[in-house]
Amino acid sequence: MRFEEELVELLPRLRRFARGLARDASDADDLCQAAIERALKSQGQWQQGTRLDSWMYRITRNLWIDERRASGRRGVHASIDESVTQIAGDGIAEVEAGTLRGDVDGAMARLPDEQREVVMLVLVEGYAYREAADILEVPIGTVTSRLARGRETLMHLLGEAA
Amino acid sequence: MSFDPATVAAFVDGELDDLTARRIEREAEGDPALAAEIARHRALKAKLAAHYAPVAEEPVPERLRALLTPDVAVDTSLATRREAKRARFAPIHWGAIAASLVLGLALGLRPWAPAASIAEANGAVVAAGPLADALDTQLASNQPPDAAVRIGLSFEDKAGRYCRSFESASLDGIGCRDNGRWRLERTMRGQAGTDYRQASSGELAAATAAMMGGDPLDAAAERQARDKGWARR
Repeated sequence: MRFEEELVELLPRLRRFARGLARDASDADDLCQAAIERALKSQGQWQQGTRLDSWMYRITRNLWIDERRASGRRGVHASIDESVTQIAGDGIAEVEAGTLRGDVDGAMARLPDEQREVVMLVLVEGYAYREAADILEVPIGTVTSRLARGRETLMHLLGEAA
Repeated sequence: MSFDPATVAAFVDGELDDLTARRIEREAEGDPALAAEIARHRALKAKLAAHYAPVAEEPVPERLRALLTPDVAVDTSLATRREAKRARFAPIHWGAIAASLVLGLALGLRPWAPAASIAEANGAVVAAGPLADALDTQLASNQPPDAAVRIGLSFEDKAGRYCRSFESASLDGIGCRDNGRWRLERTMRGQAGTDYRQASSGELAAATAAMMGGDPLDAAAERQARDKGWARR
């Protein structure tokens, strides 16, 4: 029961993370539901004493990536550099700085997936770089560089640039 | 500015060792460009946090919570009904009430509808499904006239929990917010048995009055409590 109870306590935060990834509220809850089902099935793989939240975030994020791949949308296969080019091409060049002032959803939607998930984990969920790297299973340097690019784009679009 | 952008970001993210963090703070006092850069990063972080915070404050949808809380399977077999019928005359205990509620819902106005308005959690009878949704979200001050569940009063009980009285076709009662669920503290037969309606309403009002810790919530207080997920003040 402890496992389920801890998961219940995590749900509000997990829904917030999923909303950042999936944007649409019902898509996000579908993602949470899939993650909970997966977690219950793979409960044996969670090692007691390790952080359940990180484990749960990783499951959620991996499911989301799987779904993005399955639906064949852009962004998942693109490398960071390609994504940045894509943004520069159809985004920043035409969107003047500050046009999306206040439209956080719109600005987040313009980030490549790799940057959006790091922004969510560090800037919204408050994870340390090391913890975010563990959740995403990437080197810490990857986290900091994606975060830096994501930040710059957001500041630009939201009009935070000085 | 003697700090690169990555270091400034790391400072704002709380990733720097104390020594470096203090150096940045000191330097920012005399370096407006550095101070502005820090403020810019903080502003973005605050904006994102404020944008997503309400999601974590929303009540968790029942369909997600239900995956993690073992509910009583609703068994409408004949044996269960017999058991339930007998239980109604036995001394009251929660198990019996749960069983009779299952009976009530099974024999309610819409027997084909999923009878899942109640469940058991940690030995207590709690609201589930549409009843839980109504208790979570519906405001007494603003509810559709044809709502399946009508909220009566919202109030705080003597222990400071938020409680809400409700009426529906098959079940009337009072649910109190307890550990993130609506624990059904009082239940009585709903309006389906129209003969009993008058008695039932009076009984519900009396039970509500007995449980109230103060005045019932007014419309504004009720909305505020709902928006905060019915967490105790």
